[in-house]
Amino acid sequence: MKKIFTLLMICALLLVTGCGGDDNSSGDKKLSVMLSSNVVSLDTAQCTDSASFEVIGDCIDGLMQLDADGRAVPAIAESFDLSEDGKTYTFHLRDAKWANGDDVTADDFVFAWRRHCQKAGEYSYIMGNTVACVKNADAVIKGADPTTLGVSAPDAKTFVVELDAPVSFFPSLMAFPTFYPINEKFYGTLSENSYGTSPETFLSNGAFALSSYIPGAANIQLKKNDNYWNATKVALDGFQYQVVSSSDNALTSFKNGTLNVVGIGGNQVEHVQKDAELSKNLKTFLSGYLYYLSFNQDPKNHHAGALANVNLRLAISNAIDRESLVNNYVMNGAKATYTAVPIEFAPNAKTGKFFAEDQKQFADVINFDVSKAQEFLTAAKSELGKDEFELNLIFSNEGDSTSKIVQALKSQLESNLPGVKINLQPMPKAEYLSNVTSNNYDLALVDWTPDYNDPMTFLTLWTTSGCEIAEHWSNADYDKIIEDCTTGSLAEDYDARWEALYDAEKILLDNAVIAPLYTDANSVLISPNVKGIEFHSVGIDRVYKNAKLK
Amino acid sequence: MYTPQKDDFNFIAERNLDVDENFASQGYWKGVAVHFLRNKFAVTGVILVSIIIFFALFAPVVSSYNYDEIVSVTNSSGKEFIAKSLGPQIGASESQDFFADRTFLFGTDDMGRDLWTRTWQGARVSLIIAFVAILIDMIVGTSYGLISGYFGGLVDNALQRFIEIAGSIPTLVIISILAIFMEKGIGLVIASLLLTEWIGMSKIARAECLKLKEREYVLASRTLGAGNFHIIFKQILPNAIGPIITQVMFSIPVAIFTEAFLSFVGVGIVLPQCSIGSLIEAGFNNITILPYQILPPISVLALLMLGFNLIGDGFREALAPKLEDM
Amino acid sequence: MTKYITKRIFMSALTLFIIIFVLFVLIRIMPGDPFSVERMSAEMILQKREELGLNKPILVQFVDYLSLLASGSFGNGTSLYNGAPIKPILTTCLMNSFKIGVLSILFGTAVGLTIGIVAALNRGKFLDGLCTLVSILGVCIPSYVFMIFLQYTFAYKIPFFPYFFDPSKFLTSAVMPAMSLSLFAISTIARFTRNEMLEVLNSDYVKLAEAKGLYGFELIRKHVLRNALIPIVTVIAPLVVDLLTGAMVIEKIYGINGVGKLMVDAIAGQGVDYNYVLALGIVFSALYIGAMLVLDILYGIIDPRIRLTAKEGF
Repeated sequence: MKKIFTLLMICALLLVTGCGGDDNSSGDKKLSVMLSSNVVSLDTAQCTDSASFEVIGDCIDGLMQLDADGRAVPAIAESFDLSEDGKTYTFHLRDAKWANGDDVTADDFVFAWRRHCQKAGEYSYIMGNTVACVKNADAVIKGADPTTLGVSAPDAKTFVVELDAPVSFFPSLMAFPTFYPINEKFYGTLSENSYGTSPETFLSNGAFALSSYIPGAANIQLKKNDNYWNATKVALDGFQYQVVSSSDNALTSFKNGTLNVVGIGGNQVEHVQKDAELSKNLKTFLSGYLYYLSFNQDPKNHHAGALANVNLRLAISNAIDRESLVNNYVMNGAKATYTAVPIEFAPNAKTGKFFAEDQKQFADVINFDVSKAQEFLTAAKSELGKDEFELNLIFSNEGDSTSKIVQALKSQLESNLPGVKINLQPMPKAEYLSNVTSNNYDLALVDWTPDYNDPMTFLTLWTTSGCEIAEHWSNADYDKIIEDCTTGSLAEDYDARWEALYDAEKILLDNAVIAPLYTDANSVLISPNVKGIEFHSVGIDRVYKNAKLK
Repeated sequence: MYTPQKDDFNFIAERNLDVDENFASQGYWKGVAVHFLRNKFAVTGVILVSIIIFFALFAPVVSSYNYDEIVSVTNSSGKEFIAKSLGPQIGASESQDFFADRTFLFGTDDMGRDLWTRTWQGARVSLIIAFVAILIDMIVGTSYGLISGYFGGLVDNALQRFIEIAGSIPTLVIISILAIFMEKGIGLVIASLLLTEWIGMSKIARAECLKLKEREYVLASRTLGAGNFHIIFKQILPNAIGPIITQVMFSIPVAIFTEAFLSFVGVGIVLPQCSIGSLIEAGFNNITILPYQILPPISVLALLMLGFNLIGDGFREALAPKLEDM
Repeated sequence: MTKYITKRIFMSALTLFIIIFVLFVLIRIMPGDPFSVERMSAEMILQKREELGLNKPILVQFVDYLSLLASGSFGNGTSLYNGAPIKPILTTCLMNSFKIGVLSILFGTAVGLTIGIVAALNRGKFLDGLCTLVSILGVCIPSYVFMIFLQYTFAYKIPFFPYFFDPSKFLTSAVMPAMSLSLFAISTIARFTRNEMLEVLNSDYVKLAEAKGLYGFELIRKHVLRNALIPIVTVIAPLVVDLLTGAMVIEKIYGINGVGKLMVDAIAGQGVDYNYVLALGIVFSALYIGAMLVLDILYGIIDPRIRLTAKEGF
């Protein structure tokens, strides 16, 4: 017995020390960046979250990229030509190489784009007629022959895209990961579904390459890609990501020097602002995420049929103290928002003014005014013949700030609107989404991330055929405007389209289809020795190509 | 030669067939009580648990705040101030900020709610869980074990195979599956306890039953015509109660832990309700900058655990005095 | 003996099979859908369901799954990490958790045994009280609370250990999670050891040995420990499995790619990944059953009495 036990002990010791033997701590300083959530997938056809987009963006260059100010500048494409009717783009590729020495060719793009449509992942819609309008994309997503997709490669260095309608922001879309290339030859050597699951199964053509990664990794190591076309400009030899879910852990690891770049939440921001030394490293900017309350108007919904009443919706929307919400509970620099498009997002290409610059334009229907809210409520009560409204508010229970916001909302609504009772229902994201998509809720706290830099990324949400988060609201005028602006008569007239979008937004808010809450912000602590990280509100959040560590 | 008549086997008089419990058990339980009370640790445990129960029952009632009340004032210019993230304080009249005259013994949380009230409200939840665990153990676990042990044979075999299967699925997996389709809240915690908690107890009850069912008094009771369930619950159970109570005492901490863990990972109690676990989770999010927020729930949890464990240990020693006599 | 072992192995395999069936059916009949995602249309979801064979009768699906298992694979994920094969990821995570689990068991056993023995030998004295208190404290504080405390003290205030788990410095970064995980093992083993030791110390053969003039360390080693240690193994085996599955929060806090974190991701990550929950459930159950099997067989070898009673049990 004792012998067996000793033997087991020895085996265990060998196992533990044997695996721990690879101590190759380089010792020298390395840029360490916090990710607030796991990377979901490095496959551009399947990733859906900002962490994945960011890591993919580090490793792969698309046709275009965004510069520090968010303008589209050439990446793999040296230049492009646009046809007269605005429907055909011809990209001329530069001499770029994959990390294994292969040339980046137009065929890699054709392969990747066809594959993305064929895979029909969550983001494949962006190829289709609501966004990029690539010819036949919607048909291919539904199962048509992928070779009918409107892309072609007349030669190795020329890539041609045909569109169904002119898309004014098409070049900046090309910086979005869904439009990135995949090396076809390399992909062919991999076994099924293993693309992007390890450094060996992922090929980069961008500034960095993976050196350590598994799906769900808490720590991701990147190294410089020497075959990158612009490798001389890349200052970092490599850097690492660390997934940290607690904001307090993030702050502490920044303080003790473990991480150089961390994102922090409300209480920590407040703490840092009080600290003269730390606050010098704090950088706060709006992220373009819109938080809003979605009202389920489905009359069949068993106890929210009441929400089909516009006065009840208006009452709720006007009873929310958005400033208090932002200043007391979110506290990370987020801004109260009274429009359906977030603040500091989608600048007009001509005037440079942001779409939602004027926050007061719908003040008559969306504002914080308790007496007005109560008037709406009284109207709703008499129209519906009910005095009590019990509403379920569902939200996905990730993150500390979400739970604080809904608790504050509950408290505000219940005290400002007598007779309204809110039940909070937290749930994991998947369950939340399935409830939201199957119309099984009364109120839902939704946060929507812009996919491209145009108001349309938000406004298409509320069309009748729109996204799966359906408020069960349908308005022919609204649909008409949106259709005119994407593929219809207004698509080519920039100014008229811009104005029409305001009309659409007005219809939306007059009917209180949603109650916008706030535009979220990012509060980031950056070590003074780190320079040159670029932050964007669309697509890839952070870019490290030009980052330096002193 | 006398041939027995049928009448000879009738009861002479109608009489309670129960064992004379007073006589049989008094001496034993008196001994147990003496042993238990002599054990300083055990008494400490009882005191700790009583104090916590006392506060959990009365503190939220007496407190001037509601556990989900956001404490705020609006100043003359209409700006609202919320008493959030205040450290522990005892009301003093003259001071600069708005809430100086209020008393927050444990401070307030980052939503502006009184932590004193919330901590004891949370302790209530933990105690409710504790009593549910006792019920589950006593009712489900004990009956299952006793029945399995008493009937033996095929019944025992079937019941034991079932336990083997149920017990081989780790608790975590069961909870995960439940968490996917059940609504969050105390119901989920109780359901997962229902599915997992009683297995240990049933093993103990079965072992006790196997030992006791061969005793003469059981045989006697059976010859006198007592039914199976009468024997199980009236004859065997009272004599197996010692180890069962000990086991109950140890399963309470496990149950409270399970709740704290579930709430910590976010599938337990629903906000703004609170439990010890959810308070620890909230405190953890601010542990370095507002450390006073995590201290009360952790202390209450640790003391509660300590109390129940000490009581359990005390019971075990008091019920098995042979160790004491060495 | 061979017959006993064969029987045990057969029973374990049967149990495992039933568990696989139960888990599979439970997970497949649960409400919800692997494709509840924001930007997918109903048609696309239908198409995906067809591809994955989710529209077939459940028994057919089960047979398919069994043949998949038989080929040594767990299939692909449904939503987590977007359909990457499960097995390599699971293996990596399992190895990480396993290494830390083994460390904490080693540490927990060593400390627990010491505390238990010291307590038993000093029964009723101050040291006994101290040891009892220490072992009780171990079950009073959740391991993740201890981990938070360790991380704050020994990685932030006194930066001695890495603040996050660093796979390239395995030993130094494994110390804190292993220590906090071993807390429960320490107290369980310490309590158990103390009781077993007391029982053995009180037994006739030890009294006989004493009467023969054996005393001190020699007596403890030859007679007491030897007999007291056997039942202690029964506590350790299930603890190993508990540790593997119980490190959820610690792995999350400290950034370890372990099975606990994988489980959290599978439930609450990008969506419930039914295939991961299933695979993890099967692996955990198999580990537990395996541990129990090994334990029983070892026991059977060591102690013939058990073989006999076990026979009656069947």
